[in-house]
Amino acid sequence: MNCKDCSEKLDRFVDRELNSTEVLELQLHLESCPDCQDHYEFEAHLKRLVKHSCECDTPPAFRDKLRQLLT
Amino acid sequence: MAESPARTAFAEEALTHLDTLYRGALRLTRDPDQAQDLVQEAYLRALRYQHSYQQGTNMKAWLFAIMRNLFWDRFRGSRKEDVSLDDVGEFVLYDKLKDEGARPEADVLDKLAASEVVKAVEKLPPLHREVVLLVDVEGFSYKDAAQTLGVPIGTVMSRLHRARQQLQRSLYDYAVESGIVRANGGQQVQQ
Ligand SMILES: [Zn+2]
Ligand SMILES: [Zn+2]
Repeated sequence: MNCKDCSEKLDRFVDRELNSTEVLELQLHLESCPDCQDHYEFEAHLKRLVKHSCECDTPPAFRDKLRQLLT
Repeated sequence: MAESPARTAFAEEALTHLDTLYRGALRLTRDPDQAQDLVQEAYLRALRYQHSYQQGTNMKAWLFAIMRNLFWDRFRGSRKEDVSLDDVGEFVLYDKLKDEGARPEADVLDKLAASEVVKAVEKLPPLHREVVLLVDVEGFSYKDAAQTLGVPIGTVMSRLHRARQQLQRSLYDYAVESGIVRANGGQQVQQ
């Protein structure tokens, strides 16, 4: 695998959508390529950042109201 | 209203997915009151169509689908906002920042405020926003996202790809505006 193949598969790697052969190939490349490893960590970090930023708790009063309505 | 035990058990199980539905609705409507209305309506509809839920399948996905379908029913009628994204060309934030001499993770990601990331997500057209919500926020597989949205997996992948480019572009613009990076000049603040 070269850097171009790696960067094309990076999104699917971060999303855990590659098959096990592809994962192994990609991991091998990452181990030998600091640039791609750095790019991978960036994409994984960005995905976590989006997740944590968009998370929020349901307002408790709304939760109670809905439970009363439904059960 | 007298509720049967089966209906109550179903409602209790459905309510375990409330956080997913609420934050999805909040990011889609961008308004807490509208989000609550939408979620309440989705739950009432879910109970009404309880029989159409197949035991053992993904209830979270089923509920999310009901909620987003209701959202789209309303959205189509009311708003004139762009639903889709123009092809703005390839934009890879990592490469852009590297080219400008910044350390992408330490100099930029670590400095982005959560509220700015939410803004960037909420700026996405809803058709693209909902894919990010499912895949990035809720951790759905492409397959589950495709099923939830009623589109082929390829459509999920292309919408996600475009959404991420747009999102990264917004984050880059913010990083430049706020002085985290200087356009074409690398890092502004040396520490
Ligand atoms: Zn490489
Ligand atoms: Zn970091």
